[in-house]
Amino acid sequence: MPTVPVEMIDPLVAHGAPARMNVDAPTRFKVGAVIHARNINPLHHTRLPRYIRGRQGTVVRDCGVFILPDTHAHGLGPCPERLYCVRFESRELWGDDADTRNAVYITLWDRYIDD
Amino acid sequence: MNGVQDMGGMHNMGPIVHEANEPVFHEEWERRAFAMLLLCLGGGHYNLDMARRAIELMPPAEYLDTSYYEHWMHGLEVLMAEDGSLTREEIDARVAQLAAAGVH
Amino acid sequence: MGAHHHHAPPSDVRIRVRAIESLLLEKGLVDSAAMDKIVETFEKDIGPRRGAEVVAHAWTDPEYRKRLLENGTAAIGEFGYTGLQAEEMIVVEDTPKVHNMVVCTLCSCYPWTVLGLPPVWYKSAPYRSRVVIDPRGVLKEFGVTLPESTEIRVWDSNSELRYMVLPMRPEGTEGLSEEALAELITRDSMIGTGLPKTPAEVAA
Repeated sequence: MPTVPVEMIDPLVAHGAPARMNVDAPTRFKVGAVIHARNINPLHHTRLPRYIRGRQGTVVRDCGVFILPDTHAHGLGPCPERLYCVRFESRELWGDDADTRNAVYITLWDRYIDD
Repeated sequence: MNGVQDMGGMHNMGPIVHEANEPVFHEEWERRAFAMLLLCLGGGHYNLDMARRAIELMPPAEYLDTSYYEHWMHGLEVLMAEDGSLTREEIDARVAQLAAAGVH
Repeated sequence: MGAHHHHAPPSDVRIRVRAIESLLLEKGLVDSAAMDKIVETFEKDIGPRRGAEVVAHAWTDPEYRKRLLENGTAAIGEFGYTGLQAEEMIVVEDTPKVHNMVVCTLCSCYPWTVLGLPPVWYKSAPYRSRVVIDPRGVLKEFGVTLPESTEIRVWDSNSELRYMVLPMRPEGTEGLSEEALAELITRDSMIGTGLPKTPAEVAA
């Protein structure tokens, strides 16, 4: 393994570790599509929090293609997938007592979304 | 994993404590922890997703009772052991050595 | 979490960090000068002044504001402020009807090279757990009360997209220079847990 030398700090900070991948991946959903987050409970690492699982939301942005954390976290490769930004209404997440106006915006990789 | 890190929506975690004029680091060991985790990442020993996974392996009670940079150090130990670069035994031995020499 | 804002670590944490550091240095896996340099970069060179500069520019240049909202990464890149943990930036705009707040419920993702390293409260369980279910209650705890009619949008940073809030320009700031405007822009106003200061508050 290479040791990061002091000269590499400025470039490391300036460029970071981009997770966007310059490859194509299918677009299953258009902006405005009403979708459901999958209800999954994997034992592996995932970035789909429980409070979103099974809930209905609306796609607000196609963010492009990104490394998939679920595989990448286990050394199983980047598995590039399309990432969508989705709006979930507070009432959908927290029930009828929640504020009618508020919402949570979160990103979902393609495989986090039900067919 | 349905782990303790997944806390969105939980209640009773206590008040949010806002420190005025908060320093970037509170203690020297935090600086060292920050630098080591990033440099070993930069050196290719693991990636950021692996670092998050390693932190999520902390026992839940310990996760809730420790600070951010303690999480990082836990993650670093897990990852460097997985990588074969640094074992827990080596660290324990060095801790004992430093303690015997009066370092604290 | 105890009585303190940050957990006071037992001395065994300090000694363990020293042990690990000494081993990594001996094995040549980390370089001492590189360690000092990355700490110095985030402790001294990078901080929320960067984000404030971007916001102040957006307040005074409508064309820049448009670019910033359309492509945050490119527009913040014009200042050279994208980078580690701010590789991809999305800027969300506050309006009289909408207030935005940023969180990472799963860990503590934050736009490092734009706002600096996050404060302890941002990384803490109380904030991470609560802001998605009770944003108005969290705002109240920060001393911010918004009209009941305001829609609050909470952005959960669960991927490698990083968010910054473009707060509303306070009234009575016409004619202020970008430098003077930047003085009004607090870190919290770019996370969404605060509002920009007024000129009177800065003078006080």
